[in-house]
Amino acid sequence: MSTSTSEWPWQYHFPPFFTLQPHPETRAKQVSAWKSLILDYCQKNKLYIVDVREAHQLPLFHNTTMNRKLDPSVIVSILSELAKTGNAAALDKAKNRWEIYWHTLEEWASMIYDHICELGMQNSVLTLFELSQGDDVQSKEFSGMQTDVLVKVLRVLENERKCELILSDEEQGVKFF
Amino acid sequence: MRRRAGLGAIQKHKLEQEKYKDKGSEIQENLFEQMTKQLGVLEENLEEFATKHKNKIRKNPEFRRQFQEMCASIGVDPLSSGKQGFWSVLGIGDFYYELAVQIVEVCLATNYKTGGLISLDELRTRLIKARGKGKQHQEITQDDLIRAAQKLKILGSGFMVVPVGKGQYMVQSIPGELSMDHTAVLQQATQSNQAFVSVSYLKRELGWEDERARKALDHMVDQGLAWVDLQSPKEKLYYFPSLFNACIDSTIS
Repeated sequence: MSTSTSEWPWQYHFPPFFTLQPHPETRAKQVSAWKSLILDYCQKNKLYIVDVREAHQLPLFHNTTMNRKLDPSVIVSILSELAKTGNAAALDKAKNRWEIYWHTLEEWASMIYDHICELGMQNSVLTLFELSQGDDVQSKEFSGMQTDVLVKVLRVLENERKCELILSDEEQGVKFF
Repeated sequence: MRRRAGLGAIQKHKLEQEKYKDKGSEIQENLFEQMTKQLGVLEENLEEFATKHKNKIRKNPEFRRQFQEMCASIGVDPLSSGKQGFWSVLGIGDFYYELAVQIVEVCLATNYKTGGLISLDELRTRLIKARGKGKQHQEITQDDLIRAAQKLKILGSGFMVVPVGKGQYMVQSIPGELSMDHTAVLQQATQSNQAFVSVSYLKRELGWEDERARKALDHMVDQGLAWVDLQSPKEKLYYFPSLFNACIDSTIS
């Protein structure tokens, strides 16, 4: 977890940043700063899932030094903004659990496909485990990707007819074309 | 034996009075003429002096300030348009106009995060950084900046230099004037050294009524100059990003 002060933007130390601003222009600045902060934070910490009910356990939404928290309803509205650009998606109707995509699913998809092409692995079958945890991907940003997210990314490739997912109970794999 | 005053004497007295009056206005005219002449000579000398020391005026901030003061004392404004032909040849006006443009640039570049307020110190630091490394580019004083910024007034109420006490100034670069009350709020926030104030703080420091303090603060929020913090245990706080050090120091976001 990155909690050292140098890694936070100035807003994180600005107490009113944690109160939704009433003035529309100021609020627009605030929301846009929150959007980039959330994506940056999740990227640095490889955090693919955020549960709004437990959000205050994350230093991101709770600055314990100055005792300021972002209200859960505000978190939901900012995540909803991120959803508009394909950078987040609610997993339940109550909008409690969210997947965060600091790269959109499309961006992830082309990163993975580029990697497969580099290795010349078209026409071969890989398990999802290999694809996210294997030795070949250690240096890649998508290494360690959460399986649910990985499946969604591969669905994008599947729609482009660049792969086919093989999802059975015992084995989860993918064949690239 | 004392003569009694007759008609003749009265007329004589009247004549004398008129003569005195004439003489008086004559002397006055002469004096005025002389003074105008002297001032003219002084102004000529000043121009001559300025031509001679043109480079020094441009390069040396202390010299520049003294020159400006000298001009002001005889009512000459080297930046006014009246004598522009001459003064613009000197390039003294150019010096300030150039500064003014740079002030606008810095303000526009920082507006998005400060909401359009910047302290003169901060403005100076940023401006000097942008001006390049040459020595004459670096020696820009507060006084120069205030003079240049005041020239921007002709552009309307968009640019204002607001004194906030203790020799500190802020430059406002958004439309809409700040009233006395708003300036007072800024002064308090600057002097508190905390970048925020509250209704009770203003009541205590300025002796204001609740309503007055709240109205002034809400106006600053509506102008995008202040942010509200509702999570302080005591009361609602009003923060000014333009006075918040971490914000000022950040170069990117």
